[in-house]
Amino acid sequence: MRKPQILEAAAAVITERGLSNTRIADVAERAGTSAPAVLYWFDTREQLLTAALIADEEDFAARVGARLESASSAAEKLMLLIDATVAEPRIDLWIELWARSLHDPEAARERLRRDRVWRSLFAEVVVAGRAAGEFDAGVDPDLAALSIASFMDGLSVQMTLRDPAITPELMGDLLVAHAESILGARISGALDAEAVGA
Amino acid sequence: MSSETADRILEAACELIAEDGIDEVRIARVAQRAGASTSLVHHYFSTREELLEQALIHSFEQAGDERFGEEVAAGTAVDGLAAAIRESLPYPGGQEREWVLWVELWLRAVREPDLRPVAARMYDRYRRWMVDVIEAGIESGEFAAGTDPERVAGLGVALLDGTGVRALLGDPAMDVEAARELVAGVLGDALGIDPKRLLT
Repeated sequence: MRKPQILEAAAAVITERGLSNTRIADVAERAGTSAPAVLYWFDTREQLLTAALIADEEDFAARVGARLESASSAAEKLMLLIDATVAEPRIDLWIELWARSLHDPEAARERLRRDRVWRSLFAEVVVAGRAAGEFDAGVDPDLAALSIASFMDGLSVQMTLRDPAITPELMGDLLVAHAESILGARISGALDAEAVGA
Repeated sequence: MSSETADRILEAACELIAEDGIDEVRIARVAQRAGASTSLVHHYFSTREELLEQALIHSFEQAGDERFGEEVAAGTAVDGLAAAIRESLPYPGGQEREWVLWVELWLRAVREPDLRPVAARMYDRYRRWMVDVIEAGIESGEFAAGTDPERVAGLGVALLDGTGVRALLGDPAMDVEAARELVAGVLGDALGIDPKRLLT
């Protein structure tokens, strides 16, 4: 049994039942394998959660990575990140890690590591956009990344909990407006421009 | 459900959820903490799930009643919004505990569709509280005319959640004061006022 299939099963079971109600045997059953096969890769549930989150990061990178690489501007990169998040907020495992972090210092350290990876995606785009003169020269990349990522997480939670007031359209619209306001630049047309140029 | 005993049981459950995490809470310990027997707890709450859900609802309804009920007096929308920001972040003490329960509600509501309307109702009250303050400020000329109160309230609520959870979890880049400054900066810009006025 390959690791990615086990992680996919782990993510599904954890999301459905919560980490504390997830047994290695449940993950094995979902993945169509045996508990020893799961234990070959992971000793504990906590390791499964962390690995599932990293797999999510990798999956996100695989989905948008190539387009990010080939994007011609920082504005376009930021729009790609916003669009990909709105299309699939994927905050379930994060909520699990947040709740875990409240009572477990190791989980809190892991949360910080993962959050820094997530925030650095935005900070790098801001640095590039500032260097290219696209964004306001006075913008602090780390603070801008914190602001954008925090707003995104808050909206993702509400959308994941099916708050009827937060539709994907509104979420995308609010995120773009927020980013434009703190970066002092228009980004909303960046993807359309690419389509026209293609 | 208005009896004192039921309230005491719910309060005990909230304490244990905040201390140990919702998944670790057992009926027997709630009973012990409330000074009641397990059969008395079962008299009010037929299952553990029901007890935990009612405990979260109890906590947020109570916090909401204390906070959201006040009318905004004429000319004090800036102060009202500053207070709303301050009261929404996980400052040590009662607000920090409310925040822990808030995260446990997210955790629970992801898995239990039955709880999602509860979360949606909380968010609705929370946003309306902000909308009211913002509308009062536009009316009194404190905030820029032409501001969309619903959008700014949506911005405020989601930003408070995203920064608040980081402050709650001890993120070195975002303590509770940094969260407050960030939210005040964004909302101040959106409303056309000096963000410092939202930090009183």
